[in-house]
Amino acid sequence: MKALLKLNDVSKTFLTEDIETKAINDISLEINKGEYVALSGQSGCGKSTLLSLLGLLDSPTAGQYWLADNDISSLSRNQRAEIRSKEIGFVFQSFNLISDLTVLENVMLPLTYQSGLSKAVIENRAKVVLEKVEMGHRKNHFPSQLSGGQQQRVAVARALVNEPKIILADEPTGNLDSKNAESVLQLFEQLHREGATICMVTHDPASAKRASRCLEMFDGRLIKDSINSTIKNNAVSTLEVAAG
Amino acid sequence: MSIWLDIKYALRLLFNAPKFTAMTLGVLIGGLSISLFTFSFLYTSIYKPLPIPEGETAKALAVFEDGKYRYIRSFEYQAIKDNVASFAEFGVYDTGDMRINIKESGKSYYGSYVRAGFFEFSRIKPILGRTISENDTLVGAPAVAVISYEVWQSEYQGNENILTRSIKVDGINTDIIGVMPKDYRFPNMSKVWLPLLNSVLLESPQHSEYLYGYARLKAGVNIKDAEQELTQKINQIYQRNVKLFDLPKVEKHVKLLTFQMAQTGNDGAVAFAGLMTISFLILLLACINVGNLLLARSIERQKETAIRAALGAKTARLVSQLLWEGVIIASVGGLLSVLLVGAALDYTEVAIHSWLPGGGSFWWHYGMDGATLLMAVVFTLITILLSAFFPAWRSAHQDINSTLRDGTRGAQSKKAGRVSRILVTTQVFLVALLMLIGSITAFISHKFINLEMGDDYSNVMTARFSVPEKKYPEPQQQIALMQSLIAKLEQHPNLVGVINHNWIGASKVMLEGHEYLSEEDKLLIDVASLIGDSATVGVNLVAGRQFTHLDKSGNRKTAIISQSMAKRYWPGESPLEKSFTVNINDIDERVFIVGVVTNRMNASAMFGSRDSADEIYLSGLQFFDPYQILLYKTLPNTQQPEEIFYQAMFAIDRSIELTYSVQGASENRNKMRESMGLMSEITFGTGFFSLLLAMVGIYGLTANSVAQRTHEVGIRRAVGASDRDILRMFLKQGGKQLIIGLSLALLIFALISFGFHKFTEGIFPVYIYFSQALTVVFGLTVVVMLAIYLPSKKAVIMEPSMALRYE
Repeated sequence: MKALLKLNDVSKTFLTEDIETKAINDISLEINKGEYVALSGQSGCGKSTLLSLLGLLDSPTAGQYWLADNDISSLSRNQRAEIRSKEIGFVFQSFNLISDLTVLENVMLPLTYQSGLSKAVIENRAKVVLEKVEMGHRKNHFPSQLSGGQQQRVAVARALVNEPKIILADEPTGNLDSKNAESVLQLFEQLHREGATICMVTHDPASAKRASRCLEMFDGRLIKDSINSTIKNNAVSTLEVAAG
Repeated sequence: MSIWLDIKYALRLLFNAPKFTAMTLGVLIGGLSISLFTFSFLYTSIYKPLPIPEGETAKALAVFEDGKYRYIRSFEYQAIKDNVASFAEFGVYDTGDMRINIKESGKSYYGSYVRAGFFEFSRIKPILGRTISENDTLVGAPAVAVISYEVWQSEYQGNENILTRSIKVDGINTDIIGVMPKDYRFPNMSKVWLPLLNSVLLESPQHSEYLYGYARLKAGVNIKDAEQELTQKINQIYQRNVKLFDLPKVEKHVKLLTFQMAQTGNDGAVAFAGLMTISFLILLLACINVGNLLLARSIERQKETAIRAALGAKTARLVSQLLWEGVIIASVGGLLSVLLVGAALDYTEVAIHSWLPGGGSFWWHYGMDGATLLMAVVFTLITILLSAFFPAWRSAHQDINSTLRDGTRGAQSKKAGRVSRILVTTQVFLVALLMLIGSITAFISHKFINLEMGDDYSNVMTARFSVPEKKYPEPQQQIALMQSLIAKLEQHPNLVGVINHNWIGASKVMLEGHEYLSEEDKLLIDVASLIGDSATVGVNLVAGRQFTHLDKSGNRKTAIISQSMAKRYWPGESPLEKSFTVNINDIDERVFIVGVVTNRMNASAMFGSRDSADEIYLSGLQFFDPYQILLYKTLPNTQQPEEIFYQAMFAIDRSIELTYSVQGASENRNKMRESMGLMSEITFGTGFFSLLLAMVGIYGLTANSVAQRTHEVGIRRAVGASDRDILRMFLKQGGKQLIIGLSLALLIFALISFGFHKFTEGIFPVYIYFSQALTVVFGLTVVVMLAIYLPSKKAVIMEPSMALRYE
């Protein structure tokens, strides 16, 4: 099976006041369609940076990146934006909903950046995903009127609305209590069962165990890659972990 | 101790952000200086107490005739002067141009004709000799004069024996009886004072003159009561004489004004209010901008403020800590503005006294004074309140919990965003309004400066005077006097030509062979009377002839028309010997065309091309007006060309009353152009500064708003927004504020323009208002969009991953 996403010797270096910090160090990685990948590691090991690179929120300093067989390492800013709007869904730790927009408007947002969709179609698709995450009844509320768990469900709906090839989640339960965290994780499991590809950054071992595949990072490198055999995967993993 | 800590902290913040400090100070100094200078200039010109002892109680009389600003008539004064119960002092004076002979030549001075008691009213004594007494005003009394210190010094080198000297004033041997102290120019800008003779007061009502009145109230009498008493008394006297002497029927109303206000024709308050409003708008703009810059700073430190509050700082302490930065900037700005305005006022003082030949009114002493300093303090306090206190208060009253939890995003940013949008809209509105009003002013100035008049005033002198009607009651006598004067002038070897020229104004004209069904159908053409060859002033003959001595009363009435009129009404044929009817003094006069001359700019064509309106010249020997303008051309490099007229005038009749000093014909025009140029520069300067303020302000507001929304930009970028989407979002939001602000300004401008158009009876074509509005809309849109685009572009450049981490 061909990989949905492939990194080849990808590095990311930050320069601050003449100090060079290598946040990602020659990582090679493949993620197949239908996988539920948990990315864990200590704080500052580069998990979120890797997720930013996977989500095209940042560009690598070196290496190559293929998404659905397309080399996207050297795309322009606008080309990357187009891919984000069509093929990637994000869920953040701090929800990142826009406070001035209603729940429905927040969910509609990714589709408004795609051309050729009518307002009715956008609204309809947003309502469908809101129903899916059981937030349809709060569609006219503002984020500040929702609990943390509800806000994260809306964020998940927003990530789903453009029917992305992959959902990238950065500590999605980090700001939630255990009950709401459980609810969000269950939602991810449900999406996985329905065939979604998910890559979730987490520092919680219990959350990581619920994914079909676990990656562990240390000091900007991938040090461990394991398959959770208890969870049925929707795809066959062809994982390769770069050796150092 | 804590205050010192706060001040130290504020100073450190200001030193650490030199660009911010410089920009804020620049904006503030500009706004404060404009307002302060405008206030000081207007206050000195109109409202400052008169700089003489008891100046605040000295009043000038304004007599409104059916609402029109006039003065008291000599017969009215004579009848009531001794029985006005409200006045402790009451007098009249007249002003005029006085010619003093010095050696072989002469010099004109602005002077006053005054009665006994005039100098006592000003509470100032002469430094030499005495002032004018009752005896000096008797008919037949020896001619005497009081001169100013300046005349004494400049013309007589401060000669201590001046009181033994006799000089010629207006050709009459006059004894100098006194010298007034330095800078004394009461009642306005007089430098010579002659007696106002009893004969002037004893004139019959139909020959009575308008005189300036002055008064001081008795203790305990209020102005309203005094005005009422005088109104009643003057009306009584006047109405009694209306039938007797066939005077025009008018209702009179007396007002007691300050001398300064009287000088403005009682319109000073309107001018003061108008100009102060504009300067306050500029100050308000500056305050909005400074306030916004400080608000942005306080938002940046919102988390710090929340931490301080969480640690137990009280609101007052938080406000104080945040306030100091603004207080320091406003205080330094206020201080520097005072210094700048002080220098500008000193420069104005020098410029005005060198620009105006008489040095202007004696109370025009511009410089830093107590009132201006007090106003500087008031303006600085207003600035502190508007631009420092409100941001500090707002920041100190934030929701600590949400700020500590969410940073400066969330509810706080929503409020800040709303405030920012209101500020941008207000800013756009104020700047647009200032620019719209300024653009019309600039348009008028530009038109005047670049006006092609169609004449040639090089080496041409103007003498404006009125023929004494009492001495020459019949038009034929007046014409004879004028002809004698012209003949005398022509004898001078340096004289090239002389004409008598007087604009009569727009008159109704009916062409021969045309039917005019109503008054509105008749043509309205500018008419002037003319004696002599119009080529003297560069209006050259194109066809036919100039007027001759045969175009006189009793003969066929003749006219010369402009080329434009000939072309318009007699295209393809000669207009010579054609006739038309022109209405002069309510009489339809049939005149025959004898000549065609080149086009001139006239009042009707002021804002169009020179040939867009026509001119008709009538023979001055057939249509004579006692008020006259004589224009004479001399050979180049003629020394003291004005002396040619004075010599002729004194030789013919020294009682001819000059209304202005004889001067170069282009002098008035040049002065008008200079003043228009100055007005244009001020308008452009103010407009440019407001535009700069708007640019800085809107840039600051947008930069602030963009910074506030950086995280939001990150989210939008994460879900797929392209650079263009983000820029469009900010420009769209800015565009909305631009449209609201511009619409409001255009609405007010439309109302002002409508009023102005009505008031000026359509002096500008309507399209001018539209074109000015379009120019301002276009210019401001470009500037505002640029001010929004630049900071937005910065936000777009940031990688989404960075933007998402932005606090």
